[in-house]
Formats: sequence, structure tokens, C-alpha cells
Amino acid sequence: MLKVRAGKDFWSGIMFLCFAVVGLYVARGYSMGSADEMGPGYFPVFLGIVLGALGLLLVARAITSGDEPVGHISIRPLVYLVVAVVAFGVTIEPLGLVLSLILTVALAALAGRDSGPIEVAILAVVLAALSVGIFHFALRLPLPIWPAL
Amino acid sequence: MDFLNNLATGFSVALTVTNLLYCFVGALLGTLVGVLPGIGPVTTVAMLLPFSFTLPPESALIMLAGIYYGAQYGGSTTAILVNIPGEASSVVTTIDGHQMARAGRAGPALGIAALGSFFAGCIATILVVVAAPPLASIALSFGPAEYFSLMVCGLVAAIVLARGSVIKALGMVVLGLMFGIVGTDINSGVRRMTFGFRGLADGIEFVALSMAIYGLADIALNLGKKEDNAEVHSKIGRVWPSWADIKYCIPAVLRGTTLGSILGVLPGGGALLAAFAAYTLEKKVARKPRHFGHGDIRGVAAPESANNAGAQTSFIPMLTLGIPSNPTMAMMIGAMMIHGISPGPRVMTDRPGLFWGLIVSMWLGNLMLVVLNLPLVGMWVKLLRMPYRFLYPSIVVFCCIGTYTVNSNLFDVYVMAFFAVFGYVCVKLDCEPAPLILGFVLGPMMEENLRRSLLLSRGDSMIFLQEPISLFFLIVSVGLLLVVALPTIRKTREEAMQE
Repeated sequence: MLKVRAGKDFWSGIMFLCFAVVGLYVARGYSMGSADEMGPGYFPVFLGIVLGALGLLLVARAITSGDEPVGHISIRPLVYLVVAVVAFGVTIEPLGLVLSLILTVALAALAGRDSGPIEVAILAVVLAALSVGIFHFALRLPLPIWPAL
Repeated sequence: MDFLNNLATGFSVALTVTNLLYCFVGALLGTLVGVLPGIGPVTTVAMLLPFSFTLPPESALIMLAGIYYGAQYGGSTTAILVNIPGEASSVVTTIDGHQMARAGRAGPALGIAALGSFFAGCIATILVVVAAPPLASIALSFGPAEYFSLMVCGLVAAIVLARGSVIKALGMVVLGLMFGIVGTDINSGVRRMTFGFRGLADGIEFVALSMAIYGLADIALNLGKKEDNAEVHSKIGRVWPSWADIKYCIPAVLRGTTLGSILGVLPGGGALLAAFAAYTLEKKVARKPRHFGHGDIRGVAAPESANNAGAQTSFIPMLTLGIPSNPTMAMMIGAMMIHGISPGPRVMTDRPGLFWGLIVSMWLGNLMLVVLNLPLVGMWVKLLRMPYRFLYPSIVVFCCIGTYTVNSNLFDVYVMAFFAVFGYVCVKLDCEPAPLILGFVLGPMMEENLRRSLLLSRGDSMIFLQEPISLFFLIVSVGLLLVVALPTIRKTREEAMQE
């Protein structure tokens, strides 16, 4: 009996296939043009087909000649990092750099496990102060610092 | 003489106070991130990319370059003293370097690493000066067909030299090309693959993509690993190696420099590959190879020379052809584009100050690095104790602010969050992100050159085989792919990668 266990190759293939299908689906509306006058759809469709073929090849190879299991995936750090980044995006314009960064650092710190609350608070304040110093005063980047009233 | 004129131009740019300062800042930052495990030059260059916008282009590139070669110096310090590579390209240095440290010879190991790197840096810089102008003038005569085939060749070589599965690397390149052409098509004005997001009209922001993959995804990976408590050998002793050590190492340094210089130029090469290859070569040619792994000083000298030589010569294809050989070079191209400079053979003639200034600054930077590294090694050791839990929130902050300020566009921040997840998944599936980044940078150029070639030939794709230079690049590409496809060679490749 064939032992089919979805592993690294299998999922890579699926990932490539997904991107290929989405790419081809979106590109269907672009005109292909002809070889001597490539339309906007020409190159994307070509890439989509190649990517899809590679994806199929990977899946086929995984099924026929075995696959390596995907290692341990730790969801926690990734989730908190993404939440931290999104929080920055949501708060930077209404709340300004200082408050937004304190929130971002606090959330990012949750991605790891071994920081105490006081430590995180100090780190957040220090990083916020440093960022204002570097990005606002030294580099003069257009960033809101405090909440817009 | 042209040669001297060029150098004079270079010195006049590199020796201004501002540029000297940025060269120093780059070298210092490079050493710093090289020393710190968990953050490498690619991440740092990605983090500083958006802020380099505030500098003049010369200073920006000088600083970013300094980070790359500075990290080659810093990485060896961690490798030798802690047995953790501070930077990927110093992985092999841990083997013999740490054994030397345990035997109380940390000083000479650090010394020979710095001196070997410096020697290699000088030679490689001269090589860039000599090789760049003829290469650029050849490249100037390239038509779109030649350029297209050259890019194919570059990407194929990057795949062949990448770790792991060739099919996956190929897939990552194609995916990178696809991501690269998202946005408004310059010819038809059609917004491609934007999914209706206005934020994607100008394409996927390179800074957001590279920070997501080399900043955030990297953090997620590091946090997922168990932290190992490494012993720090802070007793260093005399840093200057003895004359006997130096004499013993000279051949190794020369071999490392040569090999590193060659491998640096190759696409997919650069510092990392150079170090691995140099160590393997040393073991092959040594009369008593059994010493390797037990603190042979040549096992430090050769890879450290090679990685620095490779770091320098990888600038050659980037500066003369506009083709990145590794992700750091892709970032340099990104930096040029942020400043409105289109990379390619014209950079040298259109902006001689930038071109020669950068090269001369690389030599000056190497000089600064020897000074930074040898006497200050004690200070770097203290930095090693900086826990990662303080470091990574700072990276997150930099990534957020950086991505936001490139275009003052919040959408880029969310794009970064998306690609952070994507980057994490890729690495977990053994899909190397480096080919993706190279494909991303080359995507629009490749499409444009393909379009122009086919326009010239009236739709006849034989043009790529009829032009001799283009044919040559394609033959090389096919040859490389065949080489990895053949089972016997694949086996040795896997063995070589494992060493």
C-alpha cells in the first residue's frame, strides 16, 4: 500500500499550484497580444503555466517517491508578530508614533515567552523614545508623533 | 591613464567627510549585526533601505555596502568565541575557530580572521576595479535578447547553487517573477494582479517584501527554535597572530581569496558559498587533513578570506550588469531604484562618482574594519550577551516604521504582514526565499526585454538562439540544469552542501 503523508514537497507543490491558479484566474482578463506584440497577459500567463507545472511535479513526486514531514510549526510567535504589525498599521495615523510603538512592542514581546511585564514596559518606552529621536528629529521623516486632536 | 583617473574620481567621492562617516557607520553596523546572532546583513540592509532615501545616493550605497562586508568581519567573532555563527557565511569558521578558542587560542584565530579578511578585501577590490569597466562595456553592447538570456542564465545559476531541491528553487524564482510584475503594466497601463487594491498599483513594495521575509519571518523562525545556552569564551589573549601562524596561513589565505573572488561573481554565490567551498578545498589540499576540525588555524583563515572576497566581488555583476547575485545585492539594486538610478552598465558612465566612490569606499571600509575589530574585540564580546528578546522587538519597530515611511502608505504595512506569513511558510517547506527575491527584482526587466526581443524579431522566438551571445548564455543555463539533474553529480552536490 502506498503510504501518502503530506509533507514539505507536497505542501510546496500545493502552494505553487494555488498561486498559479490565482495568477491564471486573474490574468484571464488581460489581453494576450501576440508574440511580436506581447499584451499585458502574455508574461503572467506564461509564468502561471510554468508555476502550475512545477507545483504538479512536486505533488506527483511527493506521492510517488515519499516526502519529508513538515517540522514543528510554532504558531504563537508568527501570530503575535503579525498582530503587532497590523496594530502598528491601524494605530500609527490616529494615535501617532509614540503610542503606536508602545502597543506594537508590547504585542511583539508576546511573540516570545520570557519577557516580564516590567521589562517589556521599559523596552517599549525606550524604543519609542529612540524612534522619535532617530526618525523624527534626526531623519525628519513625516511621521505623526502624538494623537491628532 | 583611465585606471588612475577612475581611482582619483573614486577617492574624491569616498574621502568626503560625509561619505567617510557613512562608510564608518556602515562598517560599524555591519560588524554589530555580524556579531549578534539572529540578525544578519540581509535583514539589516532591508531595514535601512527605506531610510537610505534620506541620504544622497552615494552615501546610501556606501553605507549599505559597508553593512554587507562589515558583517563578514563581525560574524567570525561570534563563530570563534561562542560557536554560533553570528552570520550565515561564518558557519564553517565555527568548526576550527571555536576549537582554537577552547584551546586558549581565540586571539590568534580572531587576528587571522581579520587579517585574512582584510587581505582578501584588498585583492577583491582591485579585482572589481579591473574587471568592472570591460564587463560594463561588453554589457553596453547587449541588445534585449542578450539581456533576457543573461537574466535567465543568472537565475538558473542561482537555482543550481541554492540549497535543497532544484524544482522548489525554480518555483520560487517563477513566483518571484510573478510578484515582480504585479502592478501597472508600463506598456498597456493595465493594472495587473492588484485584486482591486489601489495600494498595489505601483507593484508590491520591495521594502515590504524583503523586510517581511528577512525581518519578520526570520524572527518567527528564531523564536520557534529553542534557545541554546552557549558558552562564551571571553578570554581572548593576544590578538596578533605569531609570525609562524601567519606564514602557515598565507597559502590558505591566497587560496581562499582566489576561490572566494571567483564564487562571489557567480549568481547565487557570494560570501556564504565562498566560505564553504574554501573550507572544503583546504581540507582537500592539506597534507594532514585530520587536524581540521580540531583547531587548525587554516580552517579559519581560508573561509574568512573567502567570504570577504566573495562579498566584495559579488558587487561586480550588480554594478556592471544590474543583475543581483544574492539577496543583499538585490537590496542594493532596490536602493538604487529608490534613488531613481536604473541599475545596469550605464551606471558606470552616467554616475562615475557613485560607481568609483562605492568601490574605493569598500577598500577604506575594510581598513576601518581591521581597526574596529582587532582592538575593540572585547567590546563586541560584551554585545554578545544582548538577549534576543530585546533585539527582535527593535527589528519589528524598524520594519514597521521603514515600510510605512517609504511611500507613507499603510497598505505596504499590511503587505508586509502578509508576506511575513508567506516567508515563514516557505522556509518551513524548505523553499529558499533567496531565488524569490532575485526573481522579484528581475521580473519587470525580464518581461520588458522579452517583449522588446520579440518585437525586434517580429515574434520569432528563434532570436534567442540566433544571437551568438544570447545562445551562449542559454547553453550555459541548460548545461547547469543538466548538471544538477544528473544523479551522480546531484549526489556530490548534496554532499558538498552538507559539509
